[in-house]
Amino acid sequence: MSLQILLLVGLVLFSVAAVLLKDLIKAAICLAAASLVLGILFFRMGAPYAGAFEISVVAGLITVLFMLTIALTKTGGDVAESKLATVAFPLFFILFLAVDFIVTKNLIQKIVALPAAPEAGAFGEVLWKQRTLDLVGQVCIIFAGVLAVLALFRKRSKDNDD
Amino acid sequence: MTSTWVPYLIVAAGLLFAGIYCLLAMRNIIKLFIGVEIISKAVSLIIVATGFAKKNILVAQSLAVTFIVVEVCLVATALAIIINIYRHTKSLDIRKLSKLKG
Repeated sequence: MSLQILLLVGLVLFSVAAVLLKDLIKAAICLAAASLVLGILFFRMGAPYAGAFEISVVAGLITVLFMLTIALTKTGGDVAESKLATVAFPLFFILFLAVDFIVTKNLIQKIVALPAAPEAGAFGEVLWKQRTLDLVGQVCIIFAGVLAVLALFRKRSKDNDD
Repeated sequence: MTSTWVPYLIVAAGLLFAGIYCLLAMRNIIKLFIGVEIISKAVSLIIVATGFAKKNILVAQSLAVTFIVVEVCLVATALAIIINIYRHTKSLDIRKLSKLKG
């Protein structure tokens, strides 16, 4: 349990660093580290498939996409952030965590726990038999994403004329 | 059950706060998107942690996998939009997009 707490603290610290760091490359690396910690947490909670997806796709692929975007937009990337917002963030965050801790600790006892349905079988069975509609949705969303990226990067006829 | 659930709930709420604060306070479009990513991490953490606490990890895991796939599509499309915005305005400042107001 103590390792879980350490991992949760690491997740929060990396996420806060991703918000606060001015350098976008460092922020993207912190985000990848947060994903890695989250993936390890998933493994420890007994969700190896979600952990593997989180580490390979979110920590790997999305970080590469972020790096590419940062590299392509480097010359205009310096945007002056509000200093007040950066300075006030840790204060607000600690205050929120304190309130969050007190409220959650007190309210969680009052929430009636719903009975959990017993589950059996393997992950594949649950994914293919119980969540079939989700898979159809995933295919549709991937298709929509591909079409959107193609539409956004297509060459306009005006460019071709030039 | 609740004792294992509480730390995850607290951390997920904290991450959600960090992401929303980033969305509200930052001006760089990529930074705003980092905020969206942090919110999505909070959501996937809460999905898997709830499955873990309720002993229903398989369904939670399949939902988390679906969520990650949706997240990747969102990221790819949003980053393509960001590159197009940069080509159009030559800046990543979100305030420059105020010209789009109707």
